Amino acid sequence: MMSRILIVVFLGALAVAPMVMPPYFLTVLIPFFAYAIILFGLNLLFGYGGQLSFGHAMFVAVGAYAAATSYSVLGVASFELMLGVAVLAALCIGIPLALIASRFTGIFFGVLTLSFGMLFHSILFKFYNLTGGESGMRVPRPTLLGMELEAYNKIGFLTGPFYYYCLILLILLGYLMWRLVRSPYGLHLSASRDNPVKALYLGVRVRWVRTVAFVISAVYGAIGGVMLGVLTGLADPELSYWTHSGHLVFMTILGGFQQFLGPAVGALVMILVQDQLMAETEYWRFFVGLALAIIVIVLPGGILGGLRRIKFKQKETKAHEDATQRRPARSTA
Amino acid sequence: MNFVTSILLAGLFQAAVLFLVAAGLQLIFGVQRIINLACGSVYALGAYFGITFTNWALAQGLPAHYFPLALLVGGLLIGLVGIPMERILRLIYRRPESFQLVLTFALVLMIHDIIHFFWGADPKQLGNLAMIYGSVTIFDVTMPLYNVMVIVLALIVAGGMAYFLGHTATGKVLRATAENHETSAAMGINVSKVFLLVFTLGTALGTVGGALVIPTGVASLEMGVELIVKAFAVVVIGGLGSMKGAAVGAIIVGLLSTLAVFTYPEVDTLAIYLIVIGMLIWKPSGLYGRVAA
Amino acid sequence: MRTQPSAALRDPLLEARNVSKRYGDFVALRDVSLSVNNGEVVSIVGPNGAGKTTLVNTLTGLFVPTTGEVRFLGEKLADNDIVKLSTQGLARAFQLVNIFPDLTVRETLSVAAGSYSGLRWRMMQNFRHNNAVQTIVEEIAQAFGLHTSLDVLSSALPHGKRKLLDVASALALHPKVLLLDEPTAGVSTADKYGIMETLLAAAKKMNVGAIMLVEHDMDLVSRYSTRIIAMQDGAKIADSPAAEFFQNEEVLSIVVGKASH
Repeated sequence: MMSRILIVVFLGALAVAPMVMPPYFLTVLIPFFAYAIILFGLNLLFGYGGQLSFGHAMFVAVGAYAAATSYSVLGVASFELMLGVAVLAALCIGIPLALIASRFTGIFFGVLTLSFGMLFHSILFKFYNLTGGESGMRVPRPTLLGMELEAYNKIGFLTGPFYYYCLILLILLGYLMWRLVRSPYGLHLSASRDNPVKALYLGVRVRWVRTVAFVISAVYGAIGGVMLGVLTGLADPELSYWTHSGHLVFMTILGGFQQFLGPAVGALVMILVQDQLMAETEYWRFFVGLALAIIVIVLPGGILGGLRRIKFKQKETKAHEDATQRRPARSTA
Repeated sequence: MNFVTSILLAGLFQAAVLFLVAAGLQLIFGVQRIINLACGSVYALGAYFGITFTNWALAQGLPAHYFPLALLVGGLLIGLVGIPMERILRLIYRRPESFQLVLTFALVLMIHDIIHFFWGADPKQLGNLAMIYGSVTIFDVTMPLYNVMVIVLALIVAGGMAYFLGHTATGKVLRATAENHETSAAMGINVSKVFLLVFTLGTALGTVGGALVIPTGVASLEMGVELIVKAFAVVVIGGLGSMKGAAVGAIIVGLLSTLAVFTYPEVDTLAIYLIVIGMLIWKPSGLYGRVAA
Repeated sequence: MRTQPSAALRDPLLEARNVSKRYGDFVALRDVSLSVNNGEVVSIVGPNGAGKTTLVNTLTGLFVPTTGEVRFLGEKLADNDIVKLSTQGLARAFQLVNIFPDLTVRETLSVAAGSYSGLRWRMMQNFRHNNAVQTIVEEIAQAFGLHTSLDVLSSALPHGKRKLLDVASALALHPKVLLLDEPTAGVSTADKYGIMETLLAAAKKMNVGAIMLVEHDMDLVSRYSTRIIAMQDGAKIADSPAAEFFQNEEVLSIVVGKASH
């Protein structure tokens, strides 16, 4: 299949990139890995589950702060430990929130998750003794698989071993998500999105599948947060601000929600463009908003959705041409 | 007694402004079933434009005593921005809810930078104009007369809304449309005109609220986003779609928020978020709401 | 026609005991008692607004009765857990077409088949590769003539096929009792008999114990029902075997006089 080949080629290009691309470009790609993971999680909740969260960024912050705390409390800077603590934190925070939020859908879910996110943001500021308040917390450079890797300087580390580690994480987590959405559970989740009442009548435990989706998306978000934390060296409270959640939604829609790779595409486009955009003008939010508005109105399927439509149109025209060239059949199917 | 009265009065002032914004939200939701995430943004627009317009009016020779009039007029004028906004939102009325939310969020981003572009990033204020009327002492507590005026105005608006919706022909049309879009259209009601009117009116309530709050505070780029959670708290507590809910919710949030500020200032925003979450858990449809989650 | 009686099920399979449903002052259901037994095809008829759909909603756990109780397989519907009911064998189709717009026919049927096979928490296996699920899907699709459309999006199906899909997905649950709410609504006169025959044949094949259907079309009702219940203004006004029902002039005039097609 064409798309599979493209994916392999793309991943191959990513694998080879550190050898050919300048370090600056590579440091732009790592956020892409992080955001792709975060958005795989959000897409499960929003694209497949139909629940639009405006507070998802809080889990990204959870991840970053978990990374920082695992060092400040345990004294050890290990990437695996950071990931472990982040996943644990995401579960501890995500499960109760999921249980509350999954009772709702639509607007209420949006407002509730918005409130959760801003509550977390508030807490990060108020308890500044623990969290560093406005300045955040430092995330040190961690060991990878126990290795110090002293030979690498900061840039070398980020664009070398860390880059590959993140790429592998992306592939693993992406594959896991792929299996998940194609499973009976994933199907039940999609059913709950399309028509919750009918889904109930077909034996779908709507509330539970939504809860599980929320928790999984929280874990993915936290893992991405750890990666971002290590990259920037900082756990920043602004990570949990609601506009950051909005950006996550934007990237998902840009690439095409309800498509598996949509968010990844959106993340890539956004990361490449945002860098340029932010350099050009300080009013980049306006253009992001404008792009979002245009997409929502004109191309709700996002980039991948648009491509799909073109593909189907081509199929349709071809089928039509085929049909008109043959003699008319006796009856249509 | 002093303490309670101060909180009451300060809280009522907050409640007055919150009510204006919430009434706008409720009106729009009640009739059009749209939740306008950009309500905070128009509130900010009202504040900034209010300052500019008032300064201009004063420069034109308007006596300082009449500044609230300038604010009101300025607020109403910028409220017309609701018209193009409605036109944009109209394009996706039939789409799923989440898209509406996303589109209004896009508007938030755009308006944020529009404000930034025209007014810059520094907070703005209107100087000491609020004190022109001096202060008034009620039950041993002093507060600027201006604040009392705003409270009175909010009461007038509340009364006016109640009368308008309950007893006028247009009000009946609005209520009919709110009940059922299709039936109203079938009865000859021009639903798009109604939507335009409602959205603009709702937006204007928000801009006026923003304009009126300015003399006692500061216009900043973040004020819109901060307001949204408070406005939603009001709507969640009062119940979606209910004007009465907007009033009661505004009073509760205004008082609680003021109480927090007076006692544990750090807890202010935290308290609001917790109230919203608590309310959604306990009674998702709010005190007077008619919409189930 | 009768459906195959399912073995070892005690009658009545589904019953309502003095069920009333009130919304404030409005009484939607007025002290309704009825039962559905193995092998029956019970039709519910009545003018618009008689409360037929409310009755179906209450019998299937969507609405809680204000007074009275509903029993399925002898057990009271205590917590209105629709999912539990679906696993115990109560399935329904809807009056207005109710499908999953973004799922294909295969996926829709697999949702139900997955529930039936107890696979709802399987998270790593591709549902397309699960034999248990796909066997059920193929079987049902064949029975409903949907096997050529298996990979078509539900939203792309014509109206008639959507209605069939709605019922087919309910049947994939292997229910003991199937409730259909106007299964031929919006279908042309030429097609409606075909659809009913398909439905009933499929139900027989799937060993459904009893069928209850809400129907306006008296032709279909007379041809296919074993028993007919008539409703008016939320109350039951008749409950008798089909032949007897059509002797009752008074009830007929109420039902037929105001029924719309």
